[in-house]
Amino acid sequence: MGVLSQASAQEDSPPATGRGGRGGNLREFLGLGAPPDAAAAARGEKLYTANCAFCHGEKGRGAEGPNLVRSTVVLHDEKGERIGPVISKGVLEKGMPAFSSFAEGQIYDLAQYLHLQVELVANRGLYKRLNVVTGDPKAGEAYFGANCAGCHSATGDLSHIGARYPADQLQNRFVWPGGGGRARKVTVTLPSGQAVSGTLKQIDDFNVSLYDASGEYRSWSRDAVKVEIEDRLEGHRQLLEKYTNQDMHNVTAYLVSLK
Amino acid sequence: MTMRCAWVVLVFGAALSAQQWPTYNGDYSGRRFSPLTEINASNIDRLAVAWFYRIAGVGPQRGVGNPTIKSTPLMANGVLYFTIPDHAWAVDARTGEEIWQYSWRDQGGHLVGNRGLGIYGQWLYFMTPDCWFVSLNAKDGKERWRKKVADEKQQYFCTMSPLVVKNEVLVGVGGDAMDVPGFLESRDPETGDLKWRWNTTPRKGEPGAETWPNPQAMEHGGGMTWMPGTYDPELNLIYWGTGNPNPVFAGQGRKGANLWTASIVALNADTGKLVWYHQPSPHDTHDWDNVETPVLFDAEFNGRPRKLLAQAARNGIFTLLDRTTGESLVTKGFVGVNWMKGVDAKGQPIPDPANEPKVDGSLINTPGGGGTNWPPPSFDPETGLFYVNAKEGYSIGYLTDDDPEPQGYGGTGGGGFSEPVLLAIDYRTGNIAWKHKYPSGGFGNAFPGVLTTAGKLLFTGDPSGNLIAYDPGDGRILWRFHIGQMVSNGPSTYMLNGQQYLIAAAGDTLFAFHILGKK
Repeated sequence: MGVLSQASAQEDSPPATGRGGRGGNLREFLGLGAPPDAAAAARGEKLYTANCAFCHGEKGRGAEGPNLVRSTVVLHDEKGERIGPVISKGVLEKGMPAFSSFAEGQIYDLAQYLHLQVELVANRGLYKRLNVVTGDPKAGEAYFGANCAGCHSATGDLSHIGARYPADQLQNRFVWPGGGGRARKVTVTLPSGQAVSGTLKQIDDFNVSLYDASGEYRSWSRDAVKVEIEDRLEGHRQLLEKYTNQDMHNVTAYLVSLK
Repeated sequence: MTMRCAWVVLVFGAALSAQQWPTYNGDYSGRRFSPLTEINASNIDRLAVAWFYRIAGVGPQRGVGNPTIKSTPLMANGVLYFTIPDHAWAVDARTGEEIWQYSWRDQGGHLVGNRGLGIYGQWLYFMTPDCWFVSLNAKDGKERWRKKVADEKQQYFCTMSPLVVKNEVLVGVGGDAMDVPGFLESRDPETGDLKWRWNTTPRKGEPGAETWPNPQAMEHGGGMTWMPGTYDPELNLIYWGTGNPNPVFAGQGRKGANLWTASIVALNADTGKLVWYHQPSPHDTHDWDNVETPVLFDAEFNGRPRKLLAQAARNGIFTLLDRTTGESLVTKGFVGVNWMKGVDAKGQPIPDPANEPKVDGSLINTPGGGGTNWPPPSFDPETGLFYVNAKEGYSIGYLTDDDPEPQGYGGTGGGGFSEPVLLAIDYRTGNIAWKHKYPSGGFGNAFPGVLTTAGKLLFTGDPSGNLIAYDPGDGRILWRFHIGQMVSNGPSTYMLNGQQYLIAAAGDTLFAFHILGKK
C-alpha cells in the first residue's frame, strides 16, 4: 500500500491507483490549481511566523484573527494578487493593521505559505498517519503466541518484519494482508472426476477460469464443475472478529520491535 | 405538450406513469419499482440487446479517467437523456441514435460522477462539476441559461440530478475537502433564480446550534446534499439525506450531534422549512454521508397501514420511519455496525467513542466507505423487501490531524476488507430475508443500483461485469448478460411502441434490452 489507503471521498473515491489515485493525481482530481511553490512557502513561513501567527494562529487556522486556510480570498488567490492588497492595506475596521513594508516577493512567499497550508488540508493524498505504536509489546507477543504462531514465526517468515515496513503499514498489513494482486489457488473438479488445480483468474456466479500448472488458461461453466478456492487468509478473517483495538495495538508494538 | 402530460402523471405510487422514466428514480417515491410486466420471469430467457450507445470523443476526464455513466437516463417522449460530468446526451430510446450532445468546458470541481438531469416541460436541468445550474432545451440541447450555485474554489462540486417538484427545481451540492457548509436550494424552473435555501447546519442562535460547540464549527460543518431526494405530494414534504459533517474523520473540534448532518430530513416543499428530522449518524466520524435514497412506500406496520420511509445507509443501518411524523420504527444494522453502542430514545444510533478514528487506529466491522453508498436501492411492494447492494467487511479509522481545530478530512478510513453482497431486507424488522454473496470482486464506492418490476424480476449487476436478473422473492438467478464491465448506474425501464425496454450503463456504454421475437 502507499502512504495511506485512499480515504473514501464524499461520494465515490477516485480510483485507488492510477489516475486520480493519490498525491499529485489526487490534486488534479480535486482541481486545486497550481501546486504551491515549496521554496517560496519555506521563506513565507518565516515571515508568517514573525508577522501573522500571533493573530491568525500557528498554521493559519485562526486565533484572534480569522482562519486563513478556509478564507475565500486565499482560496481564490494564485500568486498573491488577492492576498497582497489585504496584507498591505490591512482590514482596519476589523482590527488588522496594514503591513505596507512587504516587498512584492515577500507577498508572493506569504501567499505560497498559505497555499501550502490549504494543500495540506485539502489534498488528503498527502495525509500521513501519526504514531501507531502505542501498545504493549509484551502483551502483543503473548497475543501473537496464542493466535498467530500457528502459521507465523517471529524468527521465520516475520523475522525483521519491523525493519521492513513503516509501523502504520505493518499494522494494516497484519490486520488484513489482502490486496488486489493476491494469487488464489483453485481446484476445479470436472464431471469426469478429473481435478484441475491452478491460479484463479476469475470467478463469478456463471464461470470460473484459471491458469493451470503449465500456464495454460482454462475456463468452465460453473454449472458443470465443482470449485474449491483455498483461503489462506481464513485465520486473519477469524481474528478480525476477535481483536480489540488494544489487541491490535499490542500486536503492532510487538511486530515493530522485531527489527 | 405530451411532456407536460407526462409531467402531470408523474406522481406518487399507483398513478405512476409506467411508460416513461421522467426522474432520476423513475418517480417521486424512490422505490425504483416498475409496474411493467412485458418482460417477466416467464420470457426472460428471450431478453437480448436491442442496441447500445457508446460515448465517443470525450476521452479521459480530469482525475477520473475514462467516462463512466453513473446517471440514470430520463425517458420522456421516446428520448433518453443522460449525463457524465460536463456532458449530456439525448438519444432515441428506440434505436440508440444520438440526437444531440451538450458539452461544458471543464473549469474546476470534481468530475467524480453525475447522476443525471431533471426535466420540466421542454426544459432540462443539469449541474456542472463547478456548480453551475444549467437549463437546456430538450429538443436540441441548446443552453437556455446558467446560474452559479456554489464556489468550486472552496471545493464545492456538483453531481446531482436536479429534482423537479411542483413549480421548483431542487438542487444540492457536494464537497468535503475544505469544511464548507451544505445547503439545498429551490430554484425557479423558468429563470433559475433562488426561491428558498435550507442550510444543513444551523447558523448562530438557530435551532440545532446547541449540537455544535461554536458558530465556526457549524458554519464549516459540512452536510452535503449530493443525491436527489424523494417527495410525497399528499403530505407536501420532500425527503432528503444529508452528508457527513466536517472535518470528516476528525470530530474533536465539533463535539455534539452536529445537526442536521448525516440525517434524513423532511422539508415543506413550498418553503424549505424543516418539519422533522432523524439522524442515523449523530456526530459522524467515518465519512458516512447519509444521502442514500429515502425510499417512500405505503404498507402495513404492526397491523396498521402506514406511510413509511426506508433507507439503507452508508453507516450500515437500515432505518424505517413513519414519514408523516418522522417516528422511528426500525433501526437495524444490515452489515456490522460496532461503531455504535446502542440506540437512543428517538431510535437513533449512539456512536461509540471507543471506535472513532484514532491516531493509532480503530478497527470497526464496517468496511471502508461504508456498508453501501449512493447506488440506488429498490423496494418491491409485491415482496415487501428492500433490496440493496452492500459491502461486508472491516476497516481501520485513523485520525491524521490531532489539532484541537482540525481541518478537511483530518483522517482516513479503509484497510481491512470489503466483500460485496446483494441483500433483501424485510422492511418490518430490518432482518435479512435473503442474501446473495458475489463470488469475487469488490464494489468500491461506485457499483450497480437495483431495479425491481412487477414482472417478478430484480435487475442489478455483479462485480464481474454481469447484468443479472433475480427472482426478487428468493434471490434465484434467472438471467444474465456479460455486459463487459461492472454496471455503473441504476438500471431502469420503460415502454415504447408497445415494447418494454431495460436500460443499464456499464462504463462509457449505455445498453438497451428487449424481448426478442416480439416485433
